[in-house]
Amino acid sequence: MIRMLLLLATLAACTFAGSDYAVSLAVVIGLQALPALGLTLLTGYTGQISLGHAAFYGLGAYGAALLSRAIGISPLPGVFLASLLVGGIAWAIGWLVFRLKGHHLAMATLAFGIIVQIAFVEMHGLTGGPNGLSGIAPLSLFGTDLITDAQVLPIVWGALILALLLAQNLIASPVGLVMRAIAEGDRVVGSLGNDVAAVKRKVMMLSGFLCAVGGGLYAHYVGYLSPGPFDVGFSVRLLLMVALGGFANVWGVLFGVAFVTLVGEALKPLGAFDVIAYGVLLVVSVIFFPEGLFAGIATPIAVQVRRLKKGIAR
Amino acid sequence: MTDALQFLLSGIVVGSIYGLIGVGFTCIYNVTGIVNFAQGDFAMVGAMSAITLLAFGVPLPLAVLLAVIATCLVAAVIERTAIRPVRSDVVRGIIVTIGIGVILHGVAALVWGTDAQPMPAFSGDAPLRIGGATIAPQALWVIGTALAAMIALELLFRKTFLGQMFRACAINPFAAGLVGIRVGTMSLISFIVSGALGAIAGIVVAPIALTQYDSGLQLGIKGFVACIVGGFGGPIGAALGGILLGILEAFAAGYVSSGYKNAIAFVLLLAFLLFRPGGLFGDMEKVRG
Repeated sequence: MIRMLLLLATLAACTFAGSDYAVSLAVVIGLQALPALGLTLLTGYTGQISLGHAAFYGLGAYGAALLSRAIGISPLPGVFLASLLVGGIAWAIGWLVFRLKGHHLAMATLAFGIIVQIAFVEMHGLTGGPNGLSGIAPLSLFGTDLITDAQVLPIVWGALILALLLAQNLIASPVGLVMRAIAEGDRVVGSLGNDVAAVKRKVMMLSGFLCAVGGGLYAHYVGYLSPGPFDVGFSVRLLLMVALGGFANVWGVLFGVAFVTLVGEALKPLGAFDVIAYGVLLVVSVIFFPEGLFAGIATPIAVQVRRLKKGIAR
Repeated sequence: MTDALQFLLSGIVVGSIYGLIGVGFTCIYNVTGIVNFAQGDFAMVGAMSAITLLAFGVPLPLAVLLAVIATCLVAAVIERTAIRPVRSDVVRGIIVTIGIGVILHGVAALVWGTDAQPMPAFSGDAPLRIGGATIAPQALWVIGTALAAMIALELLFRKTFLGQMFRACAINPFAAGLVGIRVGTMSLISFIVSGALGAIAGIVVAPIALTQYDSGLQLGIKGFVACIVGGFGGPIGAALGGILLGILEAFAAGYVSSGYKNAIAFVLLLAFLLFRPGGLFGDMEKVRG
């Protein structure tokens, strides 16, 4: 509860501080947090790795854009509809790939991601190929177009906060317990009478849905799509965000997204250094901070503080 | 008919490349049970080092030797610093090797720039004619190297004491440690051998395909597909799987569409993973979810 209030306060501060840069950063973080949250549910809580989540983000983006162009459906219902479709696709992909585990699952999802990206590049008629798709209508609410970042921010973060609450509830529910048990070892869970494969597929579906919501909002926010942002690099970056957040941690992933985005912004002027930084962060956080970067740094400090306090009390 | 022969030949050549990378995968997997997602980047590092050394006027054999040693060093450092702490955990192992791939790829972009670099062929550029088709002399180097690497590694695993220790580590690291095998050292050796294989693959291929800072990922994935098609674990399977993939790709590019060429490899990967995850020559039990 406190965390939610803190989050709302930060967002309000961003909006009213009048800094366009801060607001646009907040929007970008919100847009990436949706797929990252989806991946947290799958990889963090359920223990199933995916290297193809950029594909769901991309499918959501192209889906929403094409729906609004072809049928003229207004953006927000369009995003929702496209996300439902992508959720269905994710379920089907889950049905295919969850016969596998470990390295093979990683490679199968990676292959799926690359196939989808190749399709984005090659299907000129539908996606515009490498030239991309331009002139996507801006988001609108009750007939008013939302053009500025400050207008888009409440929509994006509204969707994200809804998703956060949903994820929290899911994890606290019996299904959430099953998910975490699957991450520990699915044989035992199956022997207790749970349909492991069905749970994995449903988590994949929800995960794909969240990715697609992020992607659809992104499409309407930037108004222009090209296959570039939906490559394997983005899937790896999502994994980095989840790793920095400490895998099974809904709030941690928010920190991970913000951290990766800010590091990327800070290193942008230096050229290729951001890629190296991502790689180093990924390796370091997985080896040294399995609970996430934030917990990894905060916990030892908290322990020291407690020790100091005890010393003073004595 | 000439077309088909040409596709077949170029398919075999490209397939040998995939096979070489795939053999590198099996080397690490057979010892540690880890799939090294940075395998393709070893090839890139090897090729780039060799190209740089050649540019400084180092003669070709020495340049190749030094580049292979450099890549082995990189592989050894990676094993000691990054792989060792996460050895038992599959998901973390995957993520760490991906991270290493990203680092290598970023460092390469800094050191060598983002331009594709050519490398002169080992033995001239005059094409050889076979039937109605042509083939570059370098292609013979590629095929020969792939064959040699496959046979050498198969012999290493099957016939030598070191190979037996390798396999013991893969089957049960704990028991291997109990009978006095140094599991950590075996893992280090497997990374060094795999680094050498990757570097050799990258160098031999460099004159045919331009090498770029990001060519590692594609190579790595194709090598993995080769392993899957051939059945994980055996060098011969990996090499044959690579050649099969290469031929299929060449025909697909020739008769269907070159844009979708890469997609075909991945569709093949998915098909094999889903319907025959043990590959053509492997067993199914290890990989089922």
